[in-house]
Amino acid sequence: MTSTAPPGPATGETIIAATGLTKRYKGHTAVAGIDLDIRRGEIFGILGPNGAGKTTTLEMIEGLREPDSGSITVAGLDGITQNEAIRRIIGVQLQSTALFPFLSAAELIELFGNLYGVDNPAGQVDRLLKLVGLEDKRGARVNEMSGGQQQRLSIALALVNQPEVTFLDEPTTGLDPRARRIMWDTILGIREAGTTVVLTTHYMEEAEVLCDRIAIMDSGRIIACDTPERLIRDLPQDAVVSATIVGDGAVLTESDVRAIPGVTHAAIDTAETPPRIKAQTSDVQATLVGLLELANERRITLGELASTRPTLEDVFLTLTGRTYEQDDDTENEEDT
Amino acid sequence: MQSFLAMVIANLKMTVRNKQALFWNLAFPAIFILLFGAVFENQGMSSFSVGLAGADSELRAAVRQAMEGSDAFDLHEGTTDEELAALEDDDRSIVLVFPEDGSDAPIQLYEAAAGGPTGQIAVAATRSVVMEVAGAQSGIQIEQRQIETENASYIDWFVPGILGMSLMNSGIIGIATAFVSFREKGILRRIKVTPFPLWKFILARIVAALVLALVTSSILIGIGWAAWDLTVKGNPLLIVLTLIIVSLSMLSIGYAIAAISRNTETAASYANLVTFPMMFLSGVFFPLGALPDWLSPVVRVMPLKYAVEALRSIMLDGDGLEAILPQLGILLAIFAICLAFATRYFRWDEAPR
Repeated sequence: MTSTAPPGPATGETIIAATGLTKRYKGHTAVAGIDLDIRRGEIFGILGPNGAGKTTTLEMIEGLREPDSGSITVAGLDGITQNEAIRRIIGVQLQSTALFPFLSAAELIELFGNLYGVDNPAGQVDRLLKLVGLEDKRGARVNEMSGGQQQRLSIALALVNQPEVTFLDEPTTGLDPRARRIMWDTILGIREAGTTVVLTTHYMEEAEVLCDRIAIMDSGRIIACDTPERLIRDLPQDAVVSATIVGDGAVLTESDVRAIPGVTHAAIDTAETPPRIKAQTSDVQATLVGLLELANERRITLGELASTRPTLEDVFLTLTGRTYEQDDDTENEEDT
Repeated sequence: MQSFLAMVIANLKMTVRNKQALFWNLAFPAIFILLFGAVFENQGMSSFSVGLAGADSELRAAVRQAMEGSDAFDLHEGTTDEELAALEDDDRSIVLVFPEDGSDAPIQLYEAAAGGPTGQIAVAATRSVVMEVAGAQSGIQIEQRQIETENASYIDWFVPGILGMSLMNSGIIGIATAFVSFREKGILRRIKVTPFPLWKFILARIVAALVLALVTSSILIGIGWAAWDLTVKGNPLLIVLTLIIVSLSMLSIGYAIAAISRNTETAASYANLVTFPMMFLSGVFFPLGALPDWLSPVVRVMPLKYAVEALRSIMLDGDGLEAILPQLGILLAIFAICLAFATRYFRWDEAPR
């Protein structure tokens, strides 16, 4: 593992600062007093399971919802009193696609250009369609586009006013792997063009690939915030040891594995056949030896024995004690 | 202003490209005009109104009392000359001229020569009332006479009603479902994060709807004229004004429904619940006099009734603004009330979670 500092963007000046941001809905606290410091020019990811408070956080920064307490500044403007001024310098892509029916891609871009009062709205069309890779969909109506294309058009609309910051709420949810990769390129392209990107996601892999810095949210709180590399490096564990149990899995329990030297967390996934052991370890060598000895002792054959670098999932597991539930359902609108 | 204009144009495009809406707002009423025009071709048609004239006898008072008790008759009184003139102008279906009490002279019943089936119904209904009232008094005779009238054709009577129906459908069903679906799809919240205020968005939608209402009405009038020689009286500007006021009241009902509907399905069913009875109880297809008495309280609360009355008064009878002030007043009151209601219960977002 290298220890070089993450790339430059994270060291830029602050563009969004939030302190003590809190939002309660009837009986439950969606966002419980969070602080954020987002820098100009970075891709900042808010990562967390459904219901962690990601969308509510974005909506408060965007000015859609007023926080119950706390303060926000966006590019030096006050998030509550200078709401309208903020709307002019931000671009927003909402979780639901939210496009007018019966209008073409070009017509929508022109319309939104007009809503922001940009000069020559029609002139924006080519630039933005190219940026999101929809050049050949110029005249296509929204209802003739695929989900991924609608999502990319929606991002084009979030850029029509050449915003200082653009907010993307789960931009890849519901997309197939190929469409997701195209979207990643689009988002990287937005940063290249100098726009700060704030996105939410519940995909660990996406956050790791895309984001310069990540805030991990759980139950309305930010439980960690750093570059993906540092989040992983700061884990007490070096590696994750995994293996399948080819023999009778019942003879090995999670507490058996936990007793192996170096193991900090262990799980046996019995939903898979054969069952799979996953153990986080702070001492790979001791754990591998211990695991093999245990297998011999119990007369178990281990398959697919491997040691891998920890991922953000392991970060989440270490911080919350819970496995990260990364459900892929597309009906993901209730993320408050 | 440029942003507002762009939004109006976008709304016009969306409505015109929505084939389903286009069917209900344009094709559906056009089909009615073509069909009903064919069915009632060459048949005269007028409102079921009766004029009383002649001597102010006891019999006349008794007939007046009986007819006032029934909503089937729209009662007018005047001198014989005035009433017969009204009959000629097609403003009366029947005129009864009474003799002096004790005179042997018969009651004279004038009807339009080209009264058609409705004329015959009017005659039969009037006769039965008179015979009932006069039953005790022997020797009463009714002398029936026909008179040539201006003969407004059925289509002249029918088209204003159909215009009202079309504006009702586009205003109530169109707005309620479109607006709720905008909310459901998150389009309202998307507008809310732009510098364009939501009230301007709603106003743009209303302006687009008014433009379309006028275009649709012109097309329907054109179809009526081309197919069935529709004649439209009245000041064109007054017709435009009335169409706009009718449209505004219907749009406000649509927004009120949108405000209380959770999703597009409930919006559609509420809108249908409101529009369906109005289609049949507002005198669009047949005169209100043909409806039973017990329905009259229902009829009186139908906004479309006042819309159709106002439109007919101008287009069919060529009346001026003063004649339709009460109807326009009622429609504007509906507009104000529904708008206040819609504003009070407006939600840009789905129900709180």
